[in-house]
Parts: sequence; structure tokens; C-alpha cells
Amino acid sequence: MIICNALTRRYDDITAISDLTLTIEDQEVFGLLGPNGAGKTTTMRMLACLISPTAGDATIGGHSILDRQGQQEIRRITGLLPEAPGLYDTLSAHANLDFYGKLYGMPSSLRERSIKEVLEKFDLWDRRDDAVGTFSKGMRQKVAIARAILHDPTYLFLDEPTAGLDPKASKTVRDYIVSLREEGKTIVINTHNLGEAERICDRVALINGRMIQVGPPENLAKGLFARTLTVTLTEEDPSLAERLGTLPFVASVEASGARLKLAVTDPERTNPQLVRWLVEQGAQVQFIEEEEYSLEDVYLALIEESGRR
Amino acid sequence: MIPQNAMAVMRKDLAEFRRQKLVIGSIIAMPLLLGILIPISLFAPIAMEAPDGPTWDVENLFSTGALDPSWTMPETSSVLEGIETADVALSNTRVDNATIERAVLTGCIVHDTELRNATLDSCALDNVDLYNCIVTNSKGTALDGNAIMSIDSELTFERTRESDLEQLLPTFLNMTLILFIILPVTLPTIIASYSIVGEKNNKSLEPILASPTTDGELLLGKVLSAFVPSIASTLGAVVVGGALVNVFLAQLGEPLLPNLTWILGILVLAPLACIMSILACVIVSSRVTDVRAAQQVGGFIVMPVIVLMFGVLAGVILLTPLAMLAICAAFAAANGGLYYFAKAIFNREDILIRWA
Repeated sequence: MIICNALTRRYDDITAISDLTLTIEDQEVFGLLGPNGAGKTTTMRMLACLISPTAGDATIGGHSILDRQGQQEIRRITGLLPEAPGLYDTLSAHANLDFYGKLYGMPSSLRERSIKEVLEKFDLWDRRDDAVGTFSKGMRQKVAIARAILHDPTYLFLDEPTAGLDPKASKTVRDYIVSLREEGKTIVINTHNLGEAERICDRVALINGRMIQVGPPENLAKGLFARTLTVTLTEEDPSLAERLGTLPFVASVEASGARLKLAVTDPERTNPQLVRWLVEQGAQVQFIEEEEYSLEDVYLALIEESGRR
Repeated sequence: MIPQNAMAVMRKDLAEFRRQKLVIGSIIAMPLLLGILIPISLFAPIAMEAPDGPTWDVENLFSTGALDPSWTMPETSSVLEGIETADVALSNTRVDNATIERAVLTGCIVHDTELRNATLDSCALDNVDLYNCIVTNSKGTALDGNAIMSIDSELTFERTRESDLEQLLPTFLNMTLILFIILPVTLPTIIASYSIVGEKNNKSLEPILASPTTDGELLLGKVLSAFVPSIASTLGAVVVGGALVNVFLAQLGEPLLPNLTWILGILVLAPLACIMSILACVIVSSRVTDVRAAQQVGGFIVMPVIVLMFGVLAGVILLTPLAMLAICAAFAAANGGLYYFAKAIFNREDILIRWA
């Protein structure tokens, strides 16, 4: 479990992230979303014990990032994929991974086995002896991810894992992240790719120098937007919209031809009354559906709102 | 005992160097070239100047050349003073403060004089420089010169001053030693700048720092990765250069290297100077914005050794074994201070946030 408690980091007089408090459960894929400069990378660096917080604390697997001994333990149980792959171009993929295997104290036989396993997973085993400088961007990113997971960490910090990858490579990485969760790993992802976050994250936190909102992607819209029902009639009825507006559970009505948009607060409870009322009014109802908001809608609305504050 | 992670960092860096053909080429080629050029440029002219015949072995003459008790001071009939002459035959003459070439001197008393290509028999010599001379049945004090072609057992010498060669040779040997010590100071400025600032520019520091490698292990690994090739290359140059110097020394009949000063210089001072250079590079790297600036400022790192070289050339510093020990102690103390300073600034947060 990762617990952040009022985590704050300032660079001189600039506050990168302030009072970040959140809990990331084990075996969760957790997304950190936010615009450039929101403090996502700073947060990840603090959790990876690369930089220390100005205030606050965080624990990973019960080890504090403030404690020197704890930091060493955290480094052993975490894997980091930084923003840039940071590979040694003149060395082969195997040599790159072998170096990091040694840094994590992996014995030679385990190192060889793990290198083979991760390179095969990313279809790079046949290119293991080639210098990574000759690799495509996608291949380099795969080697960097392989490096992060080589020592079988319990917690993974992935900063923009699919940045610059083509759709096929992105899917490979996403599928792999999901499979890692199934293996019991806890994964924190920094991403700008909202679709990706929506697809693979169990929960996301929107941050912009501070925490804005946290929750499962599908729940973030709740409470942010009024819930909207779209009622499609077989034919236009101009007076129906006016009469609908008088119902106590309808906040507003917007008519567009035979289509009516109703803002409601609790559709699960009031929809049966609504349907009954429409039938009583003689309306010929074709469809009733609730409008869905994407994570992108939520993101843009929340970031805009946080910017206004 | 070197920590495993420091060894891993060093091995990785060395593997990278091996693939940087220009870097590794310059690290090997420059010292080797200097190792060949320094002895040739300093010692070849001396060796060429020296005559082919046996050099003056004063100590040996002292032990074997006892003067015949029956030998008596020659009677002189004339005086030759303050002249420069050549192709003369002098007999029973008193020669004072002269320079004479191609002469045959018999029964002469010679003071404060330089004789070249001369044959002397039954002469008394005092403060005389002899070059390419044949000396028989004579007595001499305060003699000097590059070679005496032939002597007999009746002759005895008393050495009171050093020959030109004896005066020059220690300076040349010391200068050669200092030039070899400059190598491990200059070589790591390229490697250390590349291996530390280059790592940051390559954006490969972050994953290293996220591993359980401590700051101290990373610093040690980086120091070793600059130290090992620099010292290896320097030792290679010293072996080649020392062998060449020995060829010339053998020709001159002088004792061969290594002597104690050289052993201390190469095995103690050179590594200390190398470490000082690397630590200074680490400190410089933390205060500059890129590799070029690190290398440019790193040029100043060679200054202490340059000062040492000028001190040796000016005769202010005599590189005796004792002096060498004192210099080593000074370098070791400086390294201690630099190490603590480097360690203080070499922490992951500074490297990630402030370093180039």
C-alpha cells in the first residue's frame, strides 16, 4: 500500500505539489493525471526516493520515504520508468539490463533468467545483443519498461509509459500493465493519455499543484456534472418540454426537435415516475438514455476549475 | 573491499568507453605517444653528445689508481697562461687558465684548464676539464670531463664537482617523471566529465538513482571508472617511456630506472594526483552547465602538477625520495578535503535538480 500524507515539495519559491494526501491500495493501477507542471513527476520522484519532500511523508509497503533505511527498502521493492528511457545507447539491450540487475543485487543465474523473460515478453530477445542506439523509439521504451520490472518489484512507477509509441506498441504495454496487476503488482502511472487512464486505471487522481479529485474514472463525473437524460420521441411536441419543466425532479429541459434533454438529480429513483408521466401525457417515447461523460470531459472541467481558483 | 554496486557502475562505464573508439583511442594513444616522445626528446640529444668510449669512472679509479710513490712533480721550464690554442705539443710547461685542443702534453703542470682530444703523460693536473683525452702516468685533483679515452694505473683522481651530464640527468629524469604524473591528472578530466555529467545529459541517472545504489557507491564507481583507465594508460606509458629512458641511461653508463623517487612518483603520487583530478572534476561538474564547461574548467585541475614541474625545473623542488613522500602527503591531505567536499555535494537530489 502507498500512503501519501500531506506530501509537499517546493523548489525555492515554486511549489510543485502541495498537501497531497492519498492512499493507493495493493494490486491497484493508479493514474496521476494533470497538465504539464502539475507536480506528477515530482510526486513520482518523491515516491521513488529520488528527491525528498519539503513537508509531509509517504510510506510504501510500510517503509517511510523520510527514513534512510526505509528509502533503501523502497528502492528494492519499486521499479521506475522515468520520462526519458535513459538507456546506454552504445550498450546492447542485454548489457543495459544486466547492469541494472547487478545494481539490484540479482545473482547471475536469476539475472539471466529475468533478462530472457522480460525481453521475450517484449519480443526483443532476438535483438538482445544489438546496441539500443539502433532501436526504434518503441523498442527503447520496451527496454526501459523491461529494466523497471527486471528485479520483480512489488510497486511500479511508470512515467508516461506509452508516450511516443505506435498504437500496437501502446496496446502491448497497456496489456502488459494489466497483466502485471494480475500478478499482484501495484502500479502508479503518470499519463496525459486520458483514454489510456480510463482503460487501465482502477482509480485516478487529478492533480494540479494539489489534489483536485480522486476516484475511479467512471465515478469522477458524478457530482461534477448534472446528470442528463435524453428522451427521444417519435414526433416533436413543443408543449411537452414546458410541462416537463414543472416536474419537481427535473432541473431543466432543453428541446431540440423530437429530442429532449433533461437535467435530473437522481435518475435511478425518478426515472419510473418520469416514464409513467410521459405515457400519461400521450408521448410516444422511442428511447431514454443517460448521457455519459468521458474522463476527458471531467479532466478539462476540473483542471479549468482548479485554474480559476 | 569495493562495494558490488560501485564495481557494477565502473564495469558499465568501462564497457561504454570500450565502444567509444575516439575516447578510448585518445586515452591509450596520447600517453603512449608521450611515453615515446618524452624520452626521445629529452635523452636522445644527451646520448648523442656523449662519446662512444668508456665514461669516467672516478670511484673505480679511486680504488685502483694509487699513485706510484716514485712519481715526482715534473720540472717546468716555461709558462703558458690564459690562452686558447690548438694543435700544440708542450713539454715541461706550466699551463694556467687555458683552453687547448688537439695537444700532446708531457711533464706539464696544468691548472684551471680545459683540454680536448689531448694526450697527457707525466703531468700534474688541478681543476682540469678533460674531454676525449688519453692520460698516462699523471696525477690529478679536481678533474672533470666527459671521457678519458685511456688511462693507466698510475693515475689518481679526486672528484670535487659533477660533470655536465651528472648535473643535467637528475633534472631530466625528474622532469620526465613529472610529465608522466601530469598524464593521470589530465586524462580523467575527459573521462570523469563524460561519465558524470554525460550520465545526466543522457538522462540515465534517474534509473540508477532509483536503484538501491547509494550516493557513495555511485561516486566511488564513477571515480573508479575514471581512475582505472587513466592509471592503466599512464602505467603503460611509463613502462614504454621508462624502457626507452633506460636504453639511453645504459648508453650513458648511468643507473637504470626505476629508482625510489620514480617508484614513489608512479605508484603513489600519480594515483593520488589522478584521484585529486577526478574529485575536482566531480566538484566542477556540480557547478557547471554542461560537459564542455566541465572540461574547460577541469583544465585548471592540472595546475598543482604544473606548479610542481616548474618548481623542479627551477631547482626549487628537488625530487628526492623524502621530498616525494612529502609531496605525496600533501596530495593525500588535499584529496581528503576534496573527498569530503565532493561527497557533500554528490547527493541524488542535487544531481537530479541542479546538475547539468
